[in-house]
Amino acid sequence: MKIYFELNGRPQYVEVEPGESLLSLLRRLGMKSVKEGCGTGECGVCTVLLDGKPIRSCITFAPKVQGKRVTTLEGLGTLEDPHPLQRAFVEAGAVQCGFCTPGMILTAYALLQENPAPAPYEVREYLVGNLCRCTGYKKIVDAVLLAAKWKREGRWR
Amino acid sequence: MRLRGVLRFHWARDVDEALSLLRAYEGKGAILAGGVDLARSARTDIEGLIDITGTGLSYVREDPKGLRIGATTTLSELLFHPLSREYAGGVIAETLRLVAYPALRNVATIGGATVSAHPWADIPTMLVALGAEARWRNEEKEEKASVEELYKTQFRGIFREAILLELVLPHWDGVFVFEKIGRNAGDIALLNVCAGLGLREGKIAWARVAVGARPERGERLPWLEEMLLGKEPDENLWKKAEEEVKERIKVGSDRRASGEWRREVAGVLVRRTLARAAGKAVK
Ligand SMILES: Cc1cc2nc3c(=O)[nH]c(=O)nc-3n(C[C@H](O)[C@H](O)[C@H](O)COP(=O)(O)OP(=O)(O)OC[C@H]3O[C@@H](n4cnc5c(N)ncnc54)[C@H](O)[C@@H]3O)c2cc1C
Ligand code: FES
Ligand code: FES
Repeated sequence: MKIYFELNGRPQYVEVEPGESLLSLLRRLGMKSVKEGCGTGECGVCTVLLDGKPIRSCITFAPKVQGKRVTTLEGLGTLEDPHPLQRAFVEAGAVQCGFCTPGMILTAYALLQENPAPAPYEVREYLVGNLCRCTGYKKIVDAVLLAAKWKREGRWR
Repeated sequence: MRLRGVLRFHWARDVDEALSLLRAYEGKGAILAGGVDLARSARTDIEGLIDITGTGLSYVREDPKGLRIGATTTLSELLFHPLSREYAGGVIAETLRLVAYPALRNVATIGGATVSAHPWADIPTMLVALGAEARWRNEEKEEKASVEELYKTQFRGIFREAILLELVLPHWDGVFVFEKIGRNAGDIALLNVCAGLGLREGKIAWARVAVGARPERGERLPWLEEMLLGKEPDENLWKKAEEEVKERIKVGSDRRASGEWRREVAGVLVRRTLARAAGKAVK
């Protein structure tokens, strides 16, 4: 079957299997920041934004994004022009192996759209479903708070 | 995606269309709401997915019967809806905040949670405590039953041929609170409790207590509710409730927790919820 949706601002008209996951579709389309960890909705590494809200692409049927906007990390920033959240993760030392990072950044992005001045516990609460096996979370929370500060200072929107 | 063998995906325009598609598949079709549960299903017999999220069943309304929640309302929509935040002392928000994490709540629906009704889940415990009524429709007629009664039947069979339309949560003159114990904030419950109290002239006028993830699905404790009636809400009463629960509650062991642990903790958790509910009811 064919579906139409917007991926990182670009229209897509693509063939999908009716039972295919959004994770599989996005990787087929070259979005390699979207990774598979658990495949059952429990780890958060496959998080993408659907109409601006975080969802788990591993347990989302691809046809469900028909007519909607999907954002992956590729849509936030590039190597040459990283998003401030990406820069904050580097600056705070919040990346070790990097496997969880795309999901963390997209989830944090959604949090900061909803709440530009989160308290540390609110960051933890929002990221509760994103698991990291390396960092111990502290630096991830620091990075999100740093990006939030930059946002409030008008350095990004 | 654990579910295999899907051949077709349909966007139903209304409930009638979804029901006729369901019938046409003769048992090989499945209603799809958020899909977070179906995606994890190991079933291999499903050929057609029938998406009902565009059938007009996403709403939260209030009327004299209570709060009406459409089956495809997502947990996030419900959590942030002003009507649900005001309902029965804010118990809906209190419970849903502890269900998984935002990315799941953005997609998972209240109908999907009611039908999947995992024994460890928090939402069934809340619905049973609140006396929620479920309304569904098959090709012949519309039916309704309390969620509590529904869970005593082979309800999964019902929803192979029917669509859950809405839940009606009755108005309560009092407050409910919810508590859950899990290994970490985003984890599923090792035990959960939803309790409600109404006070009249300093005495308990009604009480509702449901305990779930025992590891069985949430059930009320009628003997405890009866014991509380007409009593003054104080520490001694909560202590007595704790002892009674430890003595009488039906719990079991699974790979997540032992029955012994659940018995001990159920008493403490019920005491805490009752004390908190009474504190809120007085305010
Ligand atoms: C990772 C994870 C963590 C979770 N954590 C928690 C938790 O902490 N607490 C908790 O309480 N729950 C938890 N859950 C359970 C969750 O709430 C349910 O899985 C979810 O609400 C199902 O909703 P859905 O819309 O995605 O259902 P779907 O997957 O779309 O459907 C589930 C089942 O219900 C049927 N169905 C759905 N809607 C209808 C309808 N209107 N009429 C008839 N049949 C219908 C489907 O055919 C299917 O059989 C968790 C689930 C996951 C995957
Ligand atoms: S891969 Fe999707 S949540 Fe783990
Ligand atoms: S940085 Fe390795 S999993 Fe998070």
